[in-house]
Amino acid sequence: MILPMARIQIWGLKAHLERVIPLLHNFGNMQIDDVRRLPDSMVQPFTMPDAMQMEREQVDLLIASINGLIDLFSSFSKPGVETAVEKEDTIPAIKGKVAEITSQVQYLNNQKKFLQDELVSLSKYNDMLTVIAPLIPNSVKKSGNASIRALVHSSQMRAMNLLAQQLKLLTRGKFDMVSIKIGESTNAIVGIFPLELIEQVETFLKNEKVAQLILPEEYAYLSTDEALRHISKKVQINHLELDEIDKRLQRIADQWSPKLHVWQLICQDRVDEFEAYAKIGETEYTFTIFGWVPEERVEDLQKVLSQYFGQNVILSVIDVPAALKEKIPVATKNPGVIQPYEDFVKMRAIPRYSDVDPSHLVAIFMPIFFGMMVGDVGYGLLMLVIALLLGKKMAAGLIRNFFKALQAGAVWSIFFGILYGEYFGTLGEKWGIPALWFSRSDAGSFTTLLGMSLAVGVAHTLLGLLIGVWNAVVQKNRSHFLERGGMFIGIIGTCILVASLSQILPHGFLTLGWIIFAIGISALGLSLGKMGIIMGPIEFVGVIGNILSYLRLAALGLASVFLAKVANDLGGMVGSVGVGVLIALLIHALNLVMGMLSPTIQSLRLQYVEFFRKFYEGGQSPFTPFCKRIGNSDIQNSHT
Amino acid sequence: MEKAIMAIAAGLAIGITALATALAQRAIGSAGVGAISEKPELIGSIIILVAIPETLVILGFAVAAIILMGG
Repeated sequence: MILPMARIQIWGLKAHLERVIPLLHNFGNMQIDDVRRLPDSMVQPFTMPDAMQMEREQVDLLIASINGLIDLFSSFSKPGVETAVEKEDTIPAIKGKVAEITSQVQYLNNQKKFLQDELVSLSKYNDMLTVIAPLIPNSVKKSGNASIRALVHSSQMRAMNLLAQQLKLLTRGKFDMVSIKIGESTNAIVGIFPLELIEQVETFLKNEKVAQLILPEEYAYLSTDEALRHISKKVQINHLELDEIDKRLQRIADQWSPKLHVWQLICQDRVDEFEAYAKIGETEYTFTIFGWVPEERVEDLQKVLSQYFGQNVILSVIDVPAALKEKIPVATKNPGVIQPYEDFVKMRAIPRYSDVDPSHLVAIFMPIFFGMMVGDVGYGLLMLVIALLLGKKMAAGLIRNFFKALQAGAVWSIFFGILYGEYFGTLGEKWGIPALWFSRSDAGSFTTLLGMSLAVGVAHTLLGLLIGVWNAVVQKNRSHFLERGGMFIGIIGTCILVASLSQILPHGFLTLGWIIFAIGISALGLSLGKMGIIMGPIEFVGVIGNILSYLRLAALGLASVFLAKVANDLGGMVGSVGVGVLIALLIHALNLVMGMLSPTIQSLRLQYVEFFRKFYEGGQSPFTPFCKRIGNSDIQNSHT
Repeated sequence: MEKAIMAIAAGLAIGITALATALAQRAIGSAGVGAISEKPELIGSIIILVAIPETLVILGFAVAAIILMGG
């Protein structure tokens, strides 16, 4: 049901504005119009004071910090823990807490980065030393000896050999060098010499620009084996420290993630209030707010404003100017069982304010069409169980709506299954359970099945056209009235003609049928203007095409029953009972899944295309109330 | 022989229309997925556009049914 909306104007002294906005936010049932876009506002837009602008900027930065923390913690914390808004959750308090958490997290992250960088370089040294260690001759381990290590390109080995000879001369034969090829083009070299010559050797190598493998200071004066041991130990310690940092981050995430989500919503609520200020108008001493409230809630809002502000803030219901009649926001209110179908309707388009809300009609016809197509007691029972079990677990959204619609569709499937005598296809027939109406798998019932589908199509289309005529009367649209009325009468005339030609009705009705048909086509043609004489019959053929579209009720039903028959027959053909049952179960499972998806889409398509096009235009904007995302603020002491 | 021809005719009626529907829906579906990825609120319109060509196969089914019933 589309709720009647009232256009209201609130005005009062500016001194009360900063309490009026949170009050409206708490009320949560008013859509505020932007005064800059209104044709009848006659006031200038509100100018936000500098203090408010600054506060806005600070809240934006706060939201950015909170979002950063939430992103960081998303890899740590378990989802789904909810927490309530507390009295202390004011913007200044949130700012302080977020700054504290941010500094803790930044410190831990810096530590983590340092340790990770260290691990990277230690593992490089570890790898190189592991390669070089076997090269080291025992003479290095003698006290009084030192060594240098370097990695050089294979092309530089000749130069290195010449350098080694020079070093031998320099150290009077006390320098020794060993080398080994590692990798495709890299050689590792180790030079050994007396410790007292270390400065000479290093200076020489520096002058010759030889890049040594220089270890960090704490390992520089250790032997290769000792350095390897120390590095391994340090790597282990770093890993332990990193684990500890992760655990601390995890604890912080567990402690603060739920609150961060609450604070994020509180800050976004505050931003919404700043945006509301941008939509209101002002004079020197007063403010004014234009907006929409459902008629049933106007009195409540009036009471709330009187309670807090007395005569200082006034609400009045005003007329809707002609320019805004097409822009009245649309709010719907339907019982819970209709909710999924309301969302299906909104997927197509939001209804126009003057339209009939088709949610109830979709709630009736969509499950019936689903049931007609599936029409099997066994599949219906399984679908009902699946829909009841899975529907509760799903979060609100399209999938949950699908399972809720499936529950109703499953019930109708069971009903039509009893009428068709189908229990997992043709098993009912084998068990001796007869069809109460007709069996779809029987070739002789084919005409009945097609006739049923077409009859449903005619009835559904006529209903849609009737609603279209009603809408045209309410909207005072002559063209739509003639178009839809003409189609309605034309279909009635066609039905009389067909019944008369098929001898269901006496032959005398033929003339009546032609007259009614002609009236309908003429009205249709009249609605289409000058080209109506050609376009009228063409449009009518389109309507017949729409009715023929309902043959999908028969087509999908036949596909389902024959697939089930194949499952039963194949299962019976196989020699082994176990294998036979398995084959039958697999094909039935496939049929069940297809039976859940395809009839849903097809029955929805019949609503959207064949039914809605007769009366539903949609396209208006939805009612978007200025409401809180979380909690309610204290109006008396707001934002202190 | 007559029955065999009728069976072939019915099969062709539904097969060719099914092929035509599939070709149409292939193009509409892939464009629709692209549109929905940018504007999820278009999903309702896309379902309608994808489902519209199915009328071809339904009419093919109707012709096949008429052929078979006529036998």
